[in-house]
Amino acid sequence: MSFDLAFMLQIFPDMVRAFWLSVQISVITVVISVCVGIMLTAARLLGGNITRYSIIGFVEFTRGAPPLVHISIIYFLLPEFGIVFNEFWTGVVALSLIGAGYSVEIFRGAIDAVSFSQLDGAKALGLSRLQSFRLVLLPQAYRLSLPPLTNELANVIKATSLLSVISVNELTKVANDLIFVHFVVVEVIIQLTVLYLVIVGLLMLLSKHLEARLKF
Amino acid sequence: MDFIFIMEQMPRLLPGLMLTIQLSLIGFLIATILGVPFGIIRTYQISPYLSFFIDFYVFVVRGTPILVQIYAAYFLLPLAGIKLSPFWIGIVALSFNSAGYQIEITRAAIQSIEKGQYEGAFSLGLGKIRTLISIVFPQAFLRMLPPMANEMSNLIKASSVLSVITVFELHKAANAIISDSFKFLEMLFAQAVLYVAFVVLMTQFSIYLEKRIGTKLQIKNFSQR
Repeated sequence: MSFDLAFMLQIFPDMVRAFWLSVQISVITVVISVCVGIMLTAARLLGGNITRYSIIGFVEFTRGAPPLVHISIIYFLLPEFGIVFNEFWTGVVALSLIGAGYSVEIFRGAIDAVSFSQLDGAKALGLSRLQSFRLVLLPQAYRLSLPPLTNELANVIKATSLLSVISVNELTKVANDLIFVHFVVVEVIIQLTVLYLVIVGLLMLLSKHLEARLKF
Repeated sequence: MDFIFIMEQMPRLLPGLMLTIQLSLIGFLIATILGVPFGIIRTYQISPYLSFFIDFYVFVVRGTPILVQIYAAYFLLPLAGIKLSPFWIGIVALSFNSAGYQIEITRAAIQSIEKGQYEGAFSLGLGKIRTLISIVFPQAFLRMLPPMANEMSNLIKASSVLSVITVFELHKAANAIISDSFKFLEMLFAQAVLYVAFVVLMTQFSIYLEKRIGTKLQIKNFSQR
């Protein structure tokens, strides 16, 4: 295997453009899935039976079926009902759904881990159910859920590579195209790997930083 | 929704499901054979060079998407002179991926065993290896089961990505039917149901195993007392 540094420099601009798209998708997806995840968790814990079971069903569906199936569903199925996204937003919606499903489980686990006496205390102080959820449970659960949440968000970022199948021009798609245009494999794959490690590594650093700040 | 169509297409979907099952079970088995010993080596820091290598390996596996790993296996193995069928390339990629996670699972489980267990074993005169085999590992194994079930379901779902290197597993089979019948709804529904069924089956199996082994360990403890 010979190694061509000049070629790596030559493809670098293309790769960085694709990398930027991957970063955009990842950031939007992470923000949406955490927000939706928090709302669904609140609805699951505070809502009635129908809300609860429909959310449990949703979570089982996101956890049980592969991301490729979710992406296909958004891409092929929603247009049948007249809901049309472009490829970028299809990807964002599909990945956000997956991320939201997983984060509901993570938040629920973290909230379960906060002891019951906390809720009793909140009740004794006269807080309403929503208030005790927002002011007592959530801040504590937030700290507990940070490590598994980081893991899950890293998974969501890695799942952006699957959007290449619906022709989003993200990192993996561009790398694959470059392989087939130039028939150079090793250099492209090494660059691809390093760029993904950069995104996920940044996320891990951010989470370490937040975790260190949140320690009481 | 056209359920009759789904039933008609089952003979084309089920071989895909069979392949998915084979891919994930073989991949998981190889990954366990590699991951658990390396996890043990990593936990006890047996060799610093090996530990560094394992850490780096885990970082790469956890930091890159499965799709990239599959492409790497698909394009790089032939360059290294190893020519395999897409099925076996898939197995290589899946076990490469899963081994990284299983190393972490093993390490976390062994590290969660209390120090008192080691002290008790040593004070009874057991050697280091004997302590690992008959005291620490059985308890760690029980704690490894839930994350291992998680990993198994991730592996099943990752096997769907092998469709990009023309392995004819469930997702690819369903896509083939979609592209000649244009019945998206039915096929997406059918494959989602099959995937969820397989995942739930494996999760339930792990719960059963956990209960069984758990009671067995407790009974043993009880009778020894």
